[in-house]
Amino acid sequence: MWILGGVQVEFIDMDYKEEIIDHYKHPRNFGDLEEPCTTVGENNSSCGDMVQIKGRLDRDNRIHVLRWRGVGCAISTAAASMLSEKVVGMNKTELESFGEAGIVGLLGGEINAGRMKCATLAYRAILRLFEA
Amino acid sequence: MFDVYKIREDFPILKRKIKGKTLVYFDSGATSQKPEMVIEAMNKYYRETNANIHRGVYEMSIESTRLVDETRALVAEFIGGRTEEVIFTRNTTEGINLVAYSWGEENIKEGDAIVITKLEHHSNMIPWQELCRKKKAELRVVEVNKKGELESSGERKMMEENGLKVVIGGWKELLDSRVKMVAFTGQSNALGTVTMMEEIVRSVRKQAPIALILVDGAQMVPHMKVDVSKMNVDFLAFSGHKMVGPTGVGVLWGRKEVLNKMKPFLYGGDMIGEVRLVGTTFAGLPNKFEAGTPDIAGIIGLGAAVDYLSNIGMNEIREHEKELIGYALGKMEELESKGLVEIYGPRVADERGGVLTFNVKGVHAHDAAQVLDKYGIAVRSGQHCGAPVVERFMTPAMARASFYVYTTKEEIDFMMEKIKEVPKVFEI
Repeated sequence: MWILGGVQVEFIDMDYKEEIIDHYKHPRNFGDLEEPCTTVGENNSSCGDMVQIKGRLDRDNRIHVLRWRGVGCAISTAAASMLSEKVVGMNKTELESFGEAGIVGLLGGEINAGRMKCATLAYRAILRLFEA
Repeated sequence: MFDVYKIREDFPILKRKIKGKTLVYFDSGATSQKPEMVIEAMNKYYRETNANIHRGVYEMSIESTRLVDETRALVAEFIGGRTEEVIFTRNTTEGINLVAYSWGEENIKEGDAIVITKLEHHSNMIPWQELCRKKKAELRVVEVNKKGELESSGERKMMEENGLKVVIGGWKELLDSRVKMVAFTGQSNALGTVTMMEEIVRSVRKQAPIALILVDGAQMVPHMKVDVSKMNVDFLAFSGHKMVGPTGVGVLWGRKEVLNKMKPFLYGGDMIGEVRLVGTTFAGLPNKFEAGTPDIAGIIGLGAAVDYLSNIGMNEIREHEKELIGYALGKMEELESKGLVEIYGPRVADERGGVLTFNVKGVHAHDAAQVLDKYGIAVRSGQHCGAPVVERFMTPAMARASFYVYTTKEEIDFMMEKIKEVPKVFEI
């Protein structure tokens, strides 16, 4: 029990969903990809997070293989890791329709608005694979 | 007598619950909370007086004008300046841009140099960067040492990109007769470092005699006694919302002799002398720099904020914050000795404002901040609009707890306790 500014307070424990912690601690598809491949990068200037994505598209312009590296918080790392599994096989239209809602879903359905930039960092980079 | 518990009674928001828990507001460096009397002063203005200033001969317009004039005099007294030297802006950023555009466009030319520091908030960095790029002038940046202080001397480094030439080094070596402007912060928003103002100003006046000095007072004016009549500087910019006032209003103080020589920044209504289709003249100080209808309610709120802070006493506020940061550093150092956290910036309360910057080891600042939020603790995380200084400490982001007049030691204890929970969440 705490007294803060003359008021008694109680609180409950927080939870970062287990899956987020798992991907954060053991990021999937983390690493380098040999040439030839497309390299794209993205960063969040307000928090210093950055991600680099290397990928190859197949003949139908679907993501064939993808590796990533980056520095970031649990949310941006877990999102990059989960996406790196999820997006293989997707074309641009499918990835676009997956969208932010899809990422929030991957992350367990609850991301506060202040963390959306973290959650979508890798996604913004992956979309650019199709531009190259 | 300074009584923090009594002060807290004045701030209605401090009773707010966050996810069912009492708010512990540790982000006053971003914006401070507002006391009832500031909120009330603005409400009262809108309910009883609302009319434009300098426009009508009717009673309410005259009353509005008088309230704005009185606030200007009050602010001037608060910082030790003359009334006509106080220009109302939107915020610190606008004040600095006013100088960069109005003074800079006319006075900076190829070969000149402008000195800033690595401690600067982006608001006191980007305007000068852009000015230097446009004018082919040199941007000189004072390095920050490991302790978070400005380096007086050190290795000189050069960089050039996109037509902008940047020289990094100690301030003693960066000052010479080519320097036309020295712009630096009174207190770092990211690290809390209180800069050695007197010493730097003395060196500037000696080594760079034609340079003007601009002080970014955004984190200084709210937290300590400031007297421009003794500082020997030319400009001081600050924001109302960081000093228990409302958002939308700030102040640029400038030395009359300098302001008089400057051209207006924005053109339009209320800043003119005589208007003709050809041959328009401009108003004198301060109206010359206040085109258009200002944030009248905001100005009145700022007046109430100045009254509020003055009643407590700026020296008392600084003492309170010194005690808080000394206490917080001590507590944080206990966690540091257990290998739990990293601390950034000066370790001595005398050299630091009420700003505690840290990282929980192995945890990104955003994650630490989000865990603390679950307990109702609001800390800032990220780069604090000061990317260069954060990067200097080889970390992508930092967490920052910034205190103010209403902060208690119990709140600091509470945060320290909860910081211990952070690594557990991430299984460290």
